[in-house]
Amino acid sequence: MLKSILKSRPLLLLAICCLLSTTLGGAAAYAEGDGTSYNYSFWGRTAAAPAAYQATDLYNGSDLGVGAFKEPSDLHVTTDNRIYVLDSGNNRIVILDEHFKPIEVIDSFVREGQADTFAKPQGLFVTDQNEIIIADTGHNRVVHLDSEFRWVKTIEAPKSDLLQANYQFQPVRVVMDQAQRTYVMATGVFDGFMEFNAQGDFTSFIGANRVYIDPVEYFWKQISTQAQRSQMLMFTPTEFTSLDIDGEGFIYATNGDQWGDNIKKLNAQGTDILRRSGYFSPQGDIRYTSDTGPSRLIDIDITDSEMYSVLDSKRGRIFTYNGDGHFMYVFGGLGNRIGEFKTPTAIERVGDDFIVLDKALGEITVFKTTAYGRTLNDAVRSYYRGDEKQAFRLFNETINMNANLEFAYAGIGKSLLRQGDYKEAMKHFKRSMDQNNYSKAFLLYRKEVMRQYFGFIMTAVVTIAAIWAGVLAYRKSSRRKGGISFE
Amino acid sequence: MNRELVTFPFHVIVHPFNGYWDLKYDRDQKFNLIVSCVVLFLLALTNILGAQYSGFVVNLYNPNEMNSLLELVYVVVPVLFWCVANWSLTTLMDGEGKFIEIFTATCYALIPIVVINFPWIWLSNVISLQETSFYAFSHAVAYLWFIFLLFAGNMTVHQFSAGKTLGIMVLTVIAMGFMAFISLLFFSLVQQIIAFITVIYQELVMRS
Repeated sequence: MLKSILKSRPLLLLAICCLLSTTLGGAAAYAEGDGTSYNYSFWGRTAAAPAAYQATDLYNGSDLGVGAFKEPSDLHVTTDNRIYVLDSGNNRIVILDEHFKPIEVIDSFVREGQADTFAKPQGLFVTDQNEIIIADTGHNRVVHLDSEFRWVKTIEAPKSDLLQANYQFQPVRVVMDQAQRTYVMATGVFDGFMEFNAQGDFTSFIGANRVYIDPVEYFWKQISTQAQRSQMLMFTPTEFTSLDIDGEGFIYATNGDQWGDNIKKLNAQGTDILRRSGYFSPQGDIRYTSDTGPSRLIDIDITDSEMYSVLDSKRGRIFTYNGDGHFMYVFGGLGNRIGEFKTPTAIERVGDDFIVLDKALGEITVFKTTAYGRTLNDAVRSYYRGDEKQAFRLFNETINMNANLEFAYAGIGKSLLRQGDYKEAMKHFKRSMDQNNYSKAFLLYRKEVMRQYFGFIMTAVVTIAAIWAGVLAYRKSSRRKGGISFE
Repeated sequence: MNRELVTFPFHVIVHPFNGYWDLKYDRDQKFNLIVSCVVLFLLALTNILGAQYSGFVVNLYNPNEMNSLLELVYVVVPVLFWCVANWSLTTLMDGEGKFIEIFTATCYALIPIVVINFPWIWLSNVISLQETSFYAFSHAVAYLWFIFLLFAGNMTVHQFSAGKTLGIMVLTVIAMGFMAFISLLFFSLVQQIIAFITVIYQELVMRS
């Protein structure tokens, strides 16, 4: 017995080696898509994807040399990559350059000759001219400072018939468009964003969310008495949770809706014009367990080429979509390792990198693109610009790294269509389940084939007709001769 | 005889009232049964091939969820359910049809679905998205034709008036629902009994 085991020792060793190597190989392959990066297939299944972003640095206030942050609540990054951190607990704004070196700390400003401070400010916006707008929540006002941090104006609680008499103005998020109009998201306001003109006067509400009525709740409400009804919850529209503005003046907003669209792109009239032509409408996670529920989006960041990212506070994930509503990539999560958060509260892009602000920990996490993320970003950009050749190359590179990225095939297909390779284009549109474009490519392909074989087809048709006519004539003549008919 | 095997079904679908009369009184039941089984098989085949080979513009299909055996079941089970429910109701309501007649009449009614859908499997590969309305129209025609044949077949086989036939058809659909419910109940109960016995067996085995 022992002898035989000893005899087979080399074999056994080989077997162990094989086993070990397969498990090691498996681990290596698994590390590439470590579960935090995924994409959704056309059929709604989760498909593993390579990581598009990786956490590289973690900064807190003391690292930066400005003293620890206390419950920071908002971030803003300007076009020249200066980072503005709103340190709410310390009532100050910290300005950093793109290498996270502090430039300036603002904790007070001079208003009409008197020093003034902030009280628990919640929201911050910086215009392209580096003017700063602060939602000074504790003082029930919005403060506008110019690029030299001098006071320009203050927006106080608006007086309007549209508001209740005992209304308390509590701004939490602000943006300003090119025409100096300020849009304010305030707590307790269900009618949408408050719009103020350049002088700081209240003009109107825009973009109210729609009321969701639970049918069961509605039924009970119908059969209950007036007294009971007054005890019940009112049907009110959900509040917005965040907003951002793009270069063309469209407001991107997120809301806390459990049902319906929780990301909106509002035009000047407040109509939602977000394109939702992806496989699923942009909403964060589409697969979740019923006890945790859908994503709760609390921040949105819009970047160039209509790409935008949203932050899910429930699972700490950051989802990025392109302008058509195709889901590009996801990263982040809740936890204790680097690249995970406890209470993520704001996201911003610095160039192509992401910074994520954690409220409770007072930390900023920096995410940098991987080769995959960079290629995908560039592919989407060149596609948006209409640079088909570049998009073709980059999308091809992307699918070499992630064959499950279905919408990339449509990108390839479109440039093939432009180049006139209809058959290949059809193949790619089929892979991305894009019936519309498939049909377009198919029509062109059909025309091409028809043209090519027209001569052959017509010859065949004429020949068959001639033979048919011949047979008919033969039958007729043989019947006339009095022969036996076939029938 | 062999030629009849092909011509008679087509005769039935274009002349339903005469055709079903012939089917009930003039035809040999064995002949009808052979034709019916062939039609059922062809319908299952059409569905399977349709799921796999229909053009991309009309057929978004997930190869992971395609199961030929299930396609077969989706054809055979509803037909049998319909026949059983229809037979159960009509025996109580003075219908003259025997079970075999109901079954063959139902299967003959399915012929238009095969005849129209089968060519469309291949035709759908050479149409564009704008032309899919022809596809949808043909399918609608096939199903309407099927329902009309079902009606004519029921009426002739049971010798009912038109109104009574319509009523019976509606009741049959309801009865099918009941049957499905009872079958589900039965299967779930049997499952639980099996699970119960397995647990007892395991308990005994573990203890000894």
